[in-house]
Amino acid sequence: MITFNQVNKWYGEYRALSDINAEVKRGEVVVVCGPSGSGKSTLIRTVNRLEEIKSGQVTIDGHDIHAPMSSAQLNRMRSRIGFVFQSFNLFPHLSALENVMLSPIHVAGVRRAEARDKAMKLLDRVGLAAKAGSYPGQLSGGQQQRVAIARALAMEPPAMLFDEPTSALDPEMVGEVLAVMRSLAADGMTMMCVTHEMNFAREVADRVWFMDAGCILESSDPEAFFRHAQHPRAQRFLSDLRSH
Amino acid sequence: MKGFDLFALFANPEFVTMLWSGVKLTLVVALASWLLAMTLAVVLLAVRLTPSALARRAVQAYVSYHRNVPTLVQLMLWYFGIASLLPGALQGWLAEHNAEAVFAVIGLGLCQAAYFSEDLRSGLRAVPAGQAEAARALGHGYLGALRHVLMPQAVRNAMPALVNHTVSLFKNSSLAMAIGVAELTHAVKEIENQSFRTFETYLIATLLYLGFSLLIMAGGTLLERRSRIAGAR
Amino acid sequence: MGSVIDIVRDNWLLLLIGQYPNGPLGGIACTLILSVLGIVLAFPLSVLLALARISPWRWLSWPATALIYVARGVPLLMLILWVYFLVPLLIGHNVSGFVTMLVTLVLYEGAYLAEVVRAGIEALPKGQMEASRALGHSYLGAMRRVILPQALFNMLPSMLSQFVSTIKETTLGYVINVPELTFAANQINNRLLTQPFQVFFILAVIYFVVCWTLTWAATQLERRIEAKRAGTAAGRAAGRAPVATPTLAAEP
Repeated sequence: MITFNQVNKWYGEYRALSDINAEVKRGEVVVVCGPSGSGKSTLIRTVNRLEEIKSGQVTIDGHDIHAPMSSAQLNRMRSRIGFVFQSFNLFPHLSALENVMLSPIHVAGVRRAEARDKAMKLLDRVGLAAKAGSYPGQLSGGQQQRVAIARALAMEPPAMLFDEPTSALDPEMVGEVLAVMRSLAADGMTMMCVTHEMNFAREVADRVWFMDAGCILESSDPEAFFRHAQHPRAQRFLSDLRSH
Repeated sequence: MKGFDLFALFANPEFVTMLWSGVKLTLVVALASWLLAMTLAVVLLAVRLTPSALARRAVQAYVSYHRNVPTLVQLMLWYFGIASLLPGALQGWLAEHNAEAVFAVIGLGLCQAAYFSEDLRSGLRAVPAGQAEAARALGHGYLGALRHVLMPQAVRNAMPALVNHTVSLFKNSSLAMAIGVAELTHAVKEIENQSFRTFETYLIATLLYLGFSLLIMAGGTLLERRSRIAGAR
Repeated sequence: MGSVIDIVRDNWLLLLIGQYPNGPLGGIACTLILSVLGIVLAFPLSVLLALARISPWRWLSWPATALIYVARGVPLLMLILWVYFLVPLLIGHNVSGFVTMLVTLVLYEGAYLAEVVRAGIEALPKGQMEASRALGHSYLGAMRRVILPQALFNMLPSMLSQFVSTIKETTLGYVINVPELTFAANQINNRLLTQPFQVFFILAVIYFVVCWTLTWAATQLERRIEAKRAGTAAGRAAGRAPVATPTLAAEP
């Protein structure tokens, strides 16, 4: 569904991404982990072209999003991929419901009443139907992130990208967001997640990619990765994590 | 010096008419130039946001000129200078249709547009970068993102500055007197010349100006309060 | 365009110093002297007003706030008319337009600068006053030795931009026949009669050059201060972003 083909990104001497070749199959949940600066956020942001690449292709359902195209085409492709940010980026001047409704109405052309219905259903799904009229400033971090997930789901994308969705949350709120993500995975959503939440990875992921210094050093199923990681840097990363 | 007698002033219908005309003209000039300034400010902002470096420099030059040249000089340049360059027929037409007021509105409007556009631009810059990213990630185009996500927040950010500059615009209407517009300050001088009741005349005009300025400021505060985003710090 | 050069060449002395020595000092010299005197004399007044405004005693803060609001709400022209009328009454004899204009500017700029000073004081961390009081300084002593020096240094760029505003405000002296630059330009125009656009174009250019240069200097100063405050190379980079200046800009 999402393929990386010889993807490279560099600034001068610095290599942000080196020869990335990988695939997220339809219905798969892939967790990308690694130390900070490894390029995992950069990688996930190339999927909806929030980051540009220097060479290679990133294809979604066969279409290369980095090929030259009109801005209308790019907008269309972006609307077909859901993206959840570390800092939520909810629109503060709109209520939760309006946040979720905005893009179906103005990007996908859905009629207002229909968009409202679907938005309420989505908010209900993430457990926030009661907060539909609240504004982001009135919501906790965990609540905001759940609204952000609903907002991304409103465009009915076939795949969802999560860029460290719980890193900016207080610990007690991480659980509620992961619960939503678990239920999405259980429903068969194709997901690519950059996260430090190793328990989530163990329970939900189909594959784990370990990245360091711009390369995918190891790609295996979660059990194999967590029990016997092959690459020495992966082993070091895991032992660092465990010692906390 | 005659004793302080406010009512002597009001008892004279001629003075009341002059005062009232002055007030009306002040309000008309202020409102017309405000509308011109706001519209132009949005246009200037839009031009500034285009990728063209030439467009950006042009707007910067426009803002720089209007901020560094005193407003009175700008008005003089319009009314004495540019008016003289216009074709004769147009000059004649203007002379019959309140040329002074027209040039006052143009001069004041163009000047304040520079300030308003800078306020809006600062307001836009204060919107966090993540907002634009989120909008693009959802598939909104450049204009859609601006319209639904960025500008609503930018205007709210800019409101205190916009209100301040609106008060300035209102006060600047008094400068139009120097090019012959019979607004409030002009009326005050006329009444003073005829009645010698300087103190009372000045007092009334001062109270009127003060009253309107405070009204604008209060209106601005009300507007800010009502458009405040719920839960925002 | 050639006529512009001719006008400048024939009248540069008038523009520069007015009709001196056959009359009072005028032109750009008058403008600059008026502006400098105005802002220098307004400064101590502004500090007093700012301190009064933020003082905990209502009998002081309310009148000070009222005064500042009046200065904000009334056009400068109106204030000039008041001063022109009241000062001769108060001191018993007539005063020149120059003095009238100076007094007006001192009052007007005093009020606007007071807000600048107030913003500068309030921008300092509260800990500064707390630490001073903890060391035993009185409120006024702390103000004098700790708060004001820092606040005023930080607000230098704002004050420089208020100076630019003052220069622009001097043009209103034209209305009461102060022989400053705008008045001089009008004299030239009244004599030539056939080239109003060129004359006022020159006038605009002169003001533009003076004000633009001073604004540029203020921006440079702002960067230096930002860098000094941060104290590191990072501070120099941060210095590209402007210091939070109050949105209250006096600009007739």
